[in-house]
Amino acid sequence: MKFLLMISFRNLSRQKRRNLFLGSAMAFGVMIMVLANSFSHGISDILFNKIVVYVAGHVSVIPGEGRGRHLAIFRDKERLEKIVKKNAGDSVIDMDEGVGIFLRAIGNGRTENMVLVGINTGRTYDEKLLKEFDESFHLIEGDYRQLRSRAIENPVILSKEKAELLNVKRNDIIRIRFRNIFGQTQSGRLTVTGIMSNDNTFMQGVMFVELENLKGMMGYRPWECGSIQLTLRDPQRDAVAVADRIHAALVPGPAFIRATVTRGASRAGATVLPFMGNDEKKKKLMADSFRLVKGSMSDALSKDGVLMSATLARALGVRPGSTVEFRFRPKYEKEEASFSAEVSGIFAPDKWTGSETVYMHEALFYPRFYESLPDLAADARRAFIPAAGAPFKGALGTEWELVARARTTDDAKKNMRDITRRRVKAATIQVGSMYETASDVLKLEGVLNLITLTAVLVLFFIILIGVINTLRMTIRERTREIGTIRAIGMQRRDVRRIFILETAFLTLFASIAGVILAFIAMGVLSLIPFNVGDNPMGILLVRQHLHFLPTVGGILGNIALIMVIAVVTAFFPARRAANLSSAEALRHFE
Amino acid sequence: MIKTIYLLIGTSVILAFTAGALANPSAYSLMKKIEDLQELTTDVRARVDLTQTKTDQGTKNINMLYYRRDSDDSFLIVMIAPETEKGNGYLRMGDNFWMYRCNTRTFQHVNRDESIGGSDAHADDFEKRKLTQLYEPAKDPVSGASVSEEKLGAIAVYKFRVTAKVNDVDYPLKVYWVRQDNGLPLKEQSFSKSGTLMQTAYFMNYTIVDGRYVPVKQLYIDEFEKGNRTLVEISGISTQRLDNAIFTKAYLENLSK
Repeated sequence: MKFLLMISFRNLSRQKRRNLFLGSAMAFGVMIMVLANSFSHGISDILFNKIVVYVAGHVSVIPGEGRGRHLAIFRDKERLEKIVKKNAGDSVIDMDEGVGIFLRAIGNGRTENMVLVGINTGRTYDEKLLKEFDESFHLIEGDYRQLRSRAIENPVILSKEKAELLNVKRNDIIRIRFRNIFGQTQSGRLTVTGIMSNDNTFMQGVMFVELENLKGMMGYRPWECGSIQLTLRDPQRDAVAVADRIHAALVPGPAFIRATVTRGASRAGATVLPFMGNDEKKKKLMADSFRLVKGSMSDALSKDGVLMSATLARALGVRPGSTVEFRFRPKYEKEEASFSAEVSGIFAPDKWTGSETVYMHEALFYPRFYESLPDLAADARRAFIPAAGAPFKGALGTEWELVARARTTDDAKKNMRDITRRRVKAATIQVGSMYETASDVLKLEGVLNLITLTAVLVLFFIILIGVINTLRMTIRERTREIGTIRAIGMQRRDVRRIFILETAFLTLFASIAGVILAFIAMGVLSLIPFNVGDNPMGILLVRQHLHFLPTVGGILGNIALIMVIAVVTAFFPARRAANLSSAEALRHFE
Repeated sequence: MIKTIYLLIGTSVILAFTAGALANPSAYSLMKKIEDLQELTTDVRARVDLTQTKTDQGTKNINMLYYRRDSDDSFLIVMIAPETEKGNGYLRMGDNFWMYRCNTRTFQHVNRDESIGGSDAHADDFEKRKLTQLYEPAKDPVSGASVSEEKLGAIAVYKFRVTAKVNDVDYPLKVYWVRQDNGLPLKEQSFSKSGTLMQTAYFMNYTIVDGRYVPVKQLYIDEFEKGNRTLVEISGISTQRLDNAIFTKAYLENLSK
């Protein structure tokens, strides 16, 4: 074998000029391939770590309450964050609230539609994230730490382009109009404390404000949150698994309010439970499971329906039509919460229903439940929760409705349509990976990769035709030599191996040269600034420069692919050479 | 002595009654009166024309047909202008609210914040909701009075403030100027949560339909973006019973065939 390697290597150096040209062509091909591959990885890096992560997070937990309009709110931030943190695993490098609003902004005589996004500057971020954030939103004036300043009225940082559009500079005031989470019109004043540069047109409309300031303006209370977004170390590998794990951990418990019910001077402790009266099947389940002693079932199961146990009704002197008051202690507010409701039906209690219980239609129950969320963990000791075997258990409401995991954006939309169709009054929680929440951005990555691959393959096809042609010429020139070495005893397979090894050596050296050239080209191209203005292609730039991300695996893969193609291409001419009879080869003359 | 006490009590009672008779009506009674004067109890069909003027976009005319039936909480809006919106529609049935796009012939679930036909009007502006269910009287922060008397031009009016008692209203604070002679609102100012004046509305003309007053010409002035204004004109009001088939998806689809 060593002998064959020596001959192959020597043959390679015999026709220096021809091999140099062929090697150069191959090196050029390799260079383009590595460049394209690194550019494609760069785009993926931009999309995954500089766009998707800010738009939807690699994994997101999206809560919502629907009362005609979708409220992006969860009433127990501490609990949700605890569950997510516990189940997210080691691949998570960051977890933050995703809060943002569309608004109308007025600068100095100019108006523009903008997006206001909250960032938490008070916490410590991973170094990699900070670097990526700086690459995406590079400050050219001001300091992010000023966003926390209490001496300035709602400090804000916006892009250079939008600052020019609104005709504002640092310390100028921007007036804003928006709708808070409940749909109420809200206005405010923002003070420009920083200007940033951003190549991504889609991100130029973003203004940053301190998260707590924004949440206050939007109507969140300190213990409430919007969506939670997770940033992963390797999103392509882990996003789906992390989303699945968090989804599995977010199974809701039963919803209830442990309250004191009063009517006049009478009072009694009771557990108030919601029934899903908007679902006809569940409504029927309730009708079949409860025996009314007073009132009508249709009233009791209507959207204002309140069913009270006969034991409780006796103690309070309640009849259908009586109004009772419910008082309970919320988890986060100091003041006791209260609400009134009219009793529509009185049922005969049994072991399943409990005797100190009130069953309330979901439309009546949930607004009160979420407005002043009770401390369920503490109250569970005193509350009556119907056993799993209760015939109407399936008709009772839970703390929230966990939306089924979707694998595509279409599935996710279908799930939400189903929730709307069923008129669920409980809050919803949706857990999504970037493959559902940002599928359009990811499709863009797929298309760009496909275009790059096609262009490279076309280029390589042209180069390989050159390889085949050169080998055929070499074989023709060396026909008599082949005859000689065959005559002195060299086997056919060794002849074939000589030619294949020769091509392999040439490809290897050309590949190494191509990789070196590619790195030089990347270095040079990265130095050139591109001022793309409003062009959406700015999405592909990092601070006005092309972003290449070569990977060891990618480069080795490229070289391996080229070697395989070259060897396979060389195999057929080499076999032809090996199959020549030595007598005919010796007779060959040109 | 006892006679003197009786005399004082008697005088006080008479004075209190006289003052009560002369005092302004309560803000709540004025709110109730607005509701009573304007509440249509029948089905409604009308044409609504919006003339929207924006400083950076010029004037835009938006015309639509509006059908409402309160017995099952339904309404339907069919766009007739501009040309780009013609045939599109919005259908509300109970808790469900759809937007129909005639070029794709598709229905999409939308929420109450949805802008109607590209105008500043939102779906919730077309819902029938009672003023007293949404707002409650509030005292003027300067004078401390609930209701004060003023002149709006030559017309004597009562002015009063209301604050939202539910979350899902457009404006958490409003101030009304209502005519003293008949209780109809002439002017309304809407404030943001932080107390900034956002919009002033003028109810310029009323017509009587089935004994109720309908503000057929209203002017909304955007106080946030100066120069923006929307004129709302309502015409062709009919209170005839509407066919059940109107409040269906099929009706909207058939219109664009």
